[in-house]
Amino acid sequence: MAVTVDPMGATAGGIGDTARTEGGGLVDTLRHLRAALLLGWRVESNWADPILFAIYTVIRPVSSMLLLTAMVTIVGGSADVTARTFVILGSALWAMLVSGLSGPAWSVLEDRERYRTLKYLYTSPATFLVLLAGRGGARLLTGAMGTLVAILFATLFLGLRIDPTVVDWPLLVVTMLLGLPPVLALGIVLAAVCLQTRQESWNYPDAFSGAMFLVSGVVFPLAVLPDPLEALGLLNPITWWVAGVRQAILPDGPSSIGGTGSLWTAVTGSSAPDPVTLVAGLFLTGAVTTLLATRLFRGSERRARDRGLLDRTTGS
Amino acid sequence: MSTAAVPNPPGGSLTPAQRRLAADPRITADWTRRQTAETNLRALVGRAYPRVRGMFREPSWVIFEILLPFLGTSAYVMVYRALKAPEEYVGFVVLGGALSAFWLNVVWSMAGQLYWEKSQGNLELYFAAPMSLMSVLLGMAAGGLAMSSTRAAAVLVISASVFGVQFDVQEWWLVGVVFLLTLTALYGLGMMMASLFLLWGREAWHLTNVMVEPVYFVSGLNFPVGRLGAIGVAAIATIPFAVGLDAMRQLAFPHSDLLVGTPPPGIEALILVAMTVVFTGASRWCMTTIERMARSRGSLSIRWQ
Repeated sequence: MAVTVDPMGATAGGIGDTARTEGGGLVDTLRHLRAALLLGWRVESNWADPILFAIYTVIRPVSSMLLLTAMVTIVGGSADVTARTFVILGSALWAMLVSGLSGPAWSVLEDRERYRTLKYLYTSPATFLVLLAGRGGARLLTGAMGTLVAILFATLFLGLRIDPTVVDWPLLVVTMLLGLPPVLALGIVLAAVCLQTRQESWNYPDAFSGAMFLVSGVVFPLAVLPDPLEALGLLNPITWWVAGVRQAILPDGPSSIGGTGSLWTAVTGSSAPDPVTLVAGLFLTGAVTTLLATRLFRGSERRARDRGLLDRTTGS
Repeated sequence: MSTAAVPNPPGGSLTPAQRRLAADPRITADWTRRQTAETNLRALVGRAYPRVRGMFREPSWVIFEILLPFLGTSAYVMVYRALKAPEEYVGFVVLGGALSAFWLNVVWSMAGQLYWEKSQGNLELYFAAPMSLMSVLLGMAAGGLAMSSTRAAAVLVISASVFGVQFDVQEWWLVGVVFLLTLTALYGLGMMMASLFLLWGREAWHLTNVMVEPVYFVSGLNFPVGRLGAIGVAAIATIPFAVGLDAMRQLAFPHSDLLVGTPPPGIEALILVAMTVVFTGASRWCMTTIERMARSRGSLSIRWQ
């Protein structure tokens, strides 16, 4: 039997087979994603016992919610239940979003600056983008825990009322599934930025999240914003995600997109987008954002590779 | 091996230059106070240098340190606008947004810094270098202050212009005093936390995160801290950010009847003086203790613990 020998001297199908480096398509990608998720979760959680970890995970979103609730209560008193509910739910959801937005960027910074393993991860068989999506996904899951606890806290202590029989479960599931990829995609954009910048980028995700807070209708209706910012908010997938989740959980609550004086109502004539429109808006803006983010990340990755930024460490 | 007592280095009357050139290493190592002070000052400037210089070498910080924080502050302004709150609240938010730049800098670039330095392998160099670690901490504070001041000033000016905030300051000198005292107390706290975070190791990262929103809430970032009752009082007594912010608000809006339940600015200035003394003294004690532990156990420079 004839044996094919490649120029490197290895037998076909054996050690040194170049086909092995091309990967197995979707199956390999999913395996890498799972490995990255597990890695991210362990990096996040294995430093402390579960109770301490849980405290750290929930204290931030709960405090953030209390800050906003105090603002509403001080100005409007406890009588303004609608505004309180709107703000409480929005700020609880925000905990998850912030984790998703900051996860990939912090992974880049941690692996490059602190653990100095980014170059090794980059040369591993997993695609860098998949790796970062997995690490970001782990943080997103951690943030989701914070959101759940914040909602529980608000139900117990802040008077949030959620009736499970009224919740639009199909809408909730669909918006959750469609909303998470664009959130991670925005996180990937930040990771692309942090690949180019130095160590001080640790607080860039927070700064970016703060800006997104303005144009997402999380704790106030977009109608409050000037028209150009409101239009920008309508192009933002987070706006549609938050509006969809809010609509699903509190179907009779006020809309963050429509309403008196809003650009949405002025253009469409409807007081608020219906569930189908919310899903369509989320899908469209999410798809565009994800594609653009991938493209931007590829460009950043190429530049980082060319300029040797992957193993550059900085300090100031 | 001889066990005879080693005499004091015979270099008492030599100038610093002569000491440096002396053949006996004991004379070279026996520094005068002036040499020690000059070295510590050089360490301070050297530690501040990369922070100040870095601002000019990477312009992207303008977007992330000025534009985006302004947008973040604007979000809270919009919450009040949506609630149709009195315009004074917008002023409270703007002042809170500006001062929060210093708090973020203390948390991210002071408290966690020695831990980052340990992870990067610089910490053992600091311990080995012939300088006081306090000068390194002061250098970090000075450099961080430069960047934070820019951010705070930009957020204050831009937000006040965009949202039409009218400050009614009548005691400028007290504003200046309170501001400086707030900074000294904040960075004193940051220096103390830097030592403690070093001890806490990997938990430092999570502590850094935990010290943002919870402190914002108990300090009344966007509302008068006096409205929090006992929590507000506790914050005024322990957190320089809370007491400094409240004093600045009282001075910037002296006729506001919304700022109730807290001491007058003069008293708060005294609280800040006490905080400065306590935190700076505590940071010195902590740093000395940490340095001793580092030398005796050799464990604090082990990375990623």
